[in-house]
Amino acid sequence: MTTLPGLSLSAPQESLPQVPVSRTQDLPAGSEYRFEVPFSRSLGVKLLSGTAELFGTELAPHTKDPYTFSGIKAAIYTWHGCRLELSGETESEYTAEETQMMSYANAHFALENVRERAKASGQMGPRVLVVGPENAGKTSVVRILTAYAVKAGRQPVVVNLDPRQGMLSVPGSLTATTFASIVDVEEGWGSSPISGPSPVPVKMPLVYHYGLASPEEGKTFRPLVTRMALAVTSRLEEDAEAKTAGCIIDTPGAISHGKGGVYENIQHIISEFSVNVLLVLGSERLYSDMSRKFSNSPSEEPVSVIKLDKSGGCVDRDEPYMKQLRQSQIRAYFFGHGVNTLSPHTHWEDYSSVHIFKIVEEAKNTNRSFLPGDDDDGFASTTIYERVQPSPMIQNSLLAVTNADPNDKQEAIRDSSIMGYVYVADVEESKHKIRLLAPLSGRVPPHAMVLGSFPEDVADLVG
Amino acid sequence: MSFALPSAEVAADFKDALQDLKINSRPEISNLTIIAKENTEHAQAISRELENHIRSTRPEWKLPALYVLDSIVKNVGTPYTVYLGRNLYRTFMDAYTLMDMPTRKAMEGLLKTWKQPVPESMDTRPVFPSEVTRDIENALIKYRTVAIQQQALSQKQALHAVPARPMPATPWRNTPTPPQSTSRYTPSNDPRVRQAIPQQYGAQIPPTSTPPAQFPPGTNFQDRGASIDLDKLNSDIEKLISSARSEWALNPSDTGIQQKLKALFDLQTILKHQQLPPEQIRQIQDQVIQLSPAPAPSAPTSTSVPNSIPSFPSVLQQSATPVQPSSTPFSLSQFLAQNLPQQQPSSTPVSLPQILRQSVTPAQGSSTPVPAPPVYRPSVQPAPTPSNPPSLAQLLQQFGPAATPAAPTPVPAPPPPMSLAQLFSQPTATANPAGGADWLLNALRSQNLLGANNGTSVPPAPAPMSVSSIFPSTDPVDRSWSSSVRIENDVELTTASITKKSRPNLIAKLYEALPNQCATCGRRFETSAKGKEMKTRHMDWHFKVKDPDAAKRGVHRSWYINEREWIEFREQDDAAPAQASNGASDASGMLGVAKKETKDQYIHVPTDAALVHAPCPICQEKFEPQWLVDANDFVWMDAIKVNDKIYHATCWEEYSRGGGVGGGGGRNTPDSVLGKRKAEVSTNGLFKKTRAD
Repeated sequence: MTTLPGLSLSAPQESLPQVPVSRTQDLPAGSEYRFEVPFSRSLGVKLLSGTAELFGTELAPHTKDPYTFSGIKAAIYTWHGCRLELSGETESEYTAEETQMMSYANAHFALENVRERAKASGQMGPRVLVVGPENAGKTSVVRILTAYAVKAGRQPVVVNLDPRQGMLSVPGSLTATTFASIVDVEEGWGSSPISGPSPVPVKMPLVYHYGLASPEEGKTFRPLVTRMALAVTSRLEEDAEAKTAGCIIDTPGAISHGKGGVYENIQHIISEFSVNVLLVLGSERLYSDMSRKFSNSPSEEPVSVIKLDKSGGCVDRDEPYMKQLRQSQIRAYFFGHGVNTLSPHTHWEDYSSVHIFKIVEEAKNTNRSFLPGDDDDGFASTTIYERVQPSPMIQNSLLAVTNADPNDKQEAIRDSSIMGYVYVADVEESKHKIRLLAPLSGRVPPHAMVLGSFPEDVADLVG
Repeated sequence: MSFALPSAEVAADFKDALQDLKINSRPEISNLTIIAKENTEHAQAISRELENHIRSTRPEWKLPALYVLDSIVKNVGTPYTVYLGRNLYRTFMDAYTLMDMPTRKAMEGLLKTWKQPVPESMDTRPVFPSEVTRDIENALIKYRTVAIQQQALSQKQALHAVPARPMPATPWRNTPTPPQSTSRYTPSNDPRVRQAIPQQYGAQIPPTSTPPAQFPPGTNFQDRGASIDLDKLNSDIEKLISSARSEWALNPSDTGIQQKLKALFDLQTILKHQQLPPEQIRQIQDQVIQLSPAPAPSAPTSTSVPNSIPSFPSVLQQSATPVQPSSTPFSLSQFLAQNLPQQQPSSTPVSLPQILRQSVTPAQGSSTPVPAPPVYRPSVQPAPTPSNPPSLAQLLQQFGPAATPAAPTPVPAPPPPMSLAQLFSQPTATANPAGGADWLLNALRSQNLLGANNGTSVPPAPAPMSVSSIFPSTDPVDRSWSSSVRIENDVELTTASITKKSRPNLIAKLYEALPNQCATCGRRFETSAKGKEMKTRHMDWHFKVKDPDAAKRGVHRSWYINEREWIEFREQDDAAPAQASNGASDASGMLGVAKKETKDQYIHVPTDAALVHAPCPICQEKFEPQWLVDANDFVWMDAIKVNDKIYHATCWEEYSRGGGVGGGGGRNTPDSVLGKRKAEVSTNGLFKKTRAD
């Protein structure tokens, strides 16, 4: 076990002080300032007067240090008008008068009515599912609804089923978190617990590893949804605060494409989470399909299908940007974000002490019969995973440390929530040693580790 | 406690226990009382120890020690009252001079109880003999008299030096720059005020809170000091007392006379026993003369004062005129009042009511700003002038409202206060034909009260700029949460209801309903008491997590919790009151509570390399360093050090209970597996704990 003292320095590349040219930006009431900041630059935003919110989370007035944004495409909205002080550079920025905030806020108040009724009757609060194609602003809506709910004193459970972007974890994971404290302004959803104090309250996520980019591939998405729904429903049943607030589920755009008007994954999520509010973002066709399917279905609890317009601020996030976003999320997992610098640890492990299970993808699975049947596990259960020896092949990849024992059934490994991630920094084949970067010191527990193809390898995580 | 112990040993024990008393802790105080009770034969030694402690300990620890004294004399009584009573004057006054104002108030409260019998006691005698308490009381009266005088003096000085600023040393507001034009009460451009400023107060007399002994006796008052005749003063007072006595004999139910009599007695005591600065003596003298029923005593000072000085003798002359009713209570403050706003030629006799009227009437031609009367209701007055009572001139101007139709709210006179100045400031209605007696009374009293607080009380920070102030159009009624709930939330879960209609009023629920915003993170709270409480806790939390050294400590990300723990986890709002338990940590109910104590044991991470890497000898698992807010250091939770080896506390407990180590037989409760949590699991419990903090 060794500590690399210099490691934490490699993280923030934006720490180089740029000469900030500060300027003021006046926003009239009901407008928003939309901006894109590349990863290589940073933008400082300070609220001088009025009120302003970023995805529903209010900016603090009179802050000493400005909020710093980097690698972000976001919008600052104001209900009452405000004056911002901006410093730094953006890739693009403009002020928009037409926004969808009023309808998003109305959605929040509609949910509040449901919550009030739920509280009065002791029922479970609304289970909200947000669907829509990619880049329709689903996550933004989820964030706004979450932030408003928190502001109203609720503690909603937020579920992220989109492996493309992590929520309080790295991409490739699926998480569920109860939000009781303010959503971070600078760092997406905030941070999962760290060993020290955090200026923004940390969130306590329950994390599962999916390990693939799209829910349409692989066989583990639906079982994972089932498993998560079980955990979330249990929490909602037992946690009085969460029960009233209900849950809000974010989804990947991929499940909203449908195959011939059939949306298997959406249906699955709706039934598993007992969703009763379906927000359809930015797709007429999807709305029509959904309302046809659920509005007059004779099921015991009706699903309210609501169409929300896509915000004009939604921009396409191209693959290079998404990749950079993923890498920065992985980096933040180990090294922290902004001023919250973390110190991960690297250490060497014997091959024998790591148990790596590689997700078998559909395409490979077909060829599986031709592979030498050298693992007995494949006989016992269906082939979700194949056990792999460490090899230089897995260098630079991310391993999910599950809570399952390596000898457990593959379903148990699949259904296990994870403790966290380790990064394969080095593989010494001759010595049968593997160097792992773990978030904290001490040996990594000898649990089963899952290796997926997503997120992709990060080349230079450890210098 | 063994009776064989020598006094010195008992006293040493008592002393040790005293040393640890740093806050007002009831158990500690009662413990000390019990020690004293069980060792009455060593009362002398204990009393001495207590006195020494009160004398030598740090000022902020004196009050708890005084409470110990109080507890002992009330609960044990003799012989402690005898021993402690001997030096009580010194013990009390030495401490008193070093204290800040709130503590002094507390001490005065103590003193008050010492004059009364022990509560619920059969004995009707006071706690301490009255001779003991009287001395202290007299000293306090003296002290406060001086304080008030000094205040008045510094007031004048301040007016002289910086007209707009009541007291240069004290910030008037929280703004760095004092308002240039005027304080709320000071008519800076009022020529009368300037005119009234005595010219020869050259030396800066430190404002207030100076013990009487430090007052420079007579340094700056030589020119006038010559005229003071103490003997005459004393005899005058004597006369007054006798006349007041006879008056009281005729009318025993008149509390006014009673108070007057008491005040006179106090005054006499002060004059006899203490050395007062000539200035004060002069003022007392003037007051006395003013009170004297003799129509026109020829004051020896009246001619010796230069014209430019607002002369005291002139007041003397005024007060000697028949206009002044003879029963006018003598008030030092009033006396000053007559001097400060004096705009008349000093030779013209003016009655007090006249002065009052003149100083309040804007028609007088002065540019005195007379703001809206309600502001100056005496009950309002203390708030804006916390540390610096307005000069009497200012004060008197407040009597404008008294003349207006607005009905003054009479405040019933409190039981006779012990302060001389307070007593002096009890005017009777006859003194104020304008009907402002109550106003004057209240105003003076509040001023007096403030005067006693001078020097320590911090002016209340200006109310933080309410966020709601940026929404000027908002009806104030809407700002409370409860009323904002009444904003009709008619949004239904339909596309039409959500997307078609704009409801700007609902947004108030997210903003205006919660006007109390945290400046650090933007979180909003209600303005209610509950909201304020929450914000206070929230700000405490902000303070706690602010650790500049966090980066150096090597903070790392924790493992995620597992499903079970997550389901049982309950979010702990930093603004919510701390709760004893949370989620997983008390999964096993009562057992969980018991186990919690075990697993909450921690040790600081050892520096010894061998120990750092050694696993728990019982379960062979390693310890995980954890940052603990309370310890402000990295610790191993659930760890216990036994014979130079470190074990998990839970492991050790199980091991010792299981018979591995003798002496664990006391507990029979079978231990649930759930209750056992190792370091890595308790990480989460710890996390919750720190957040709950």
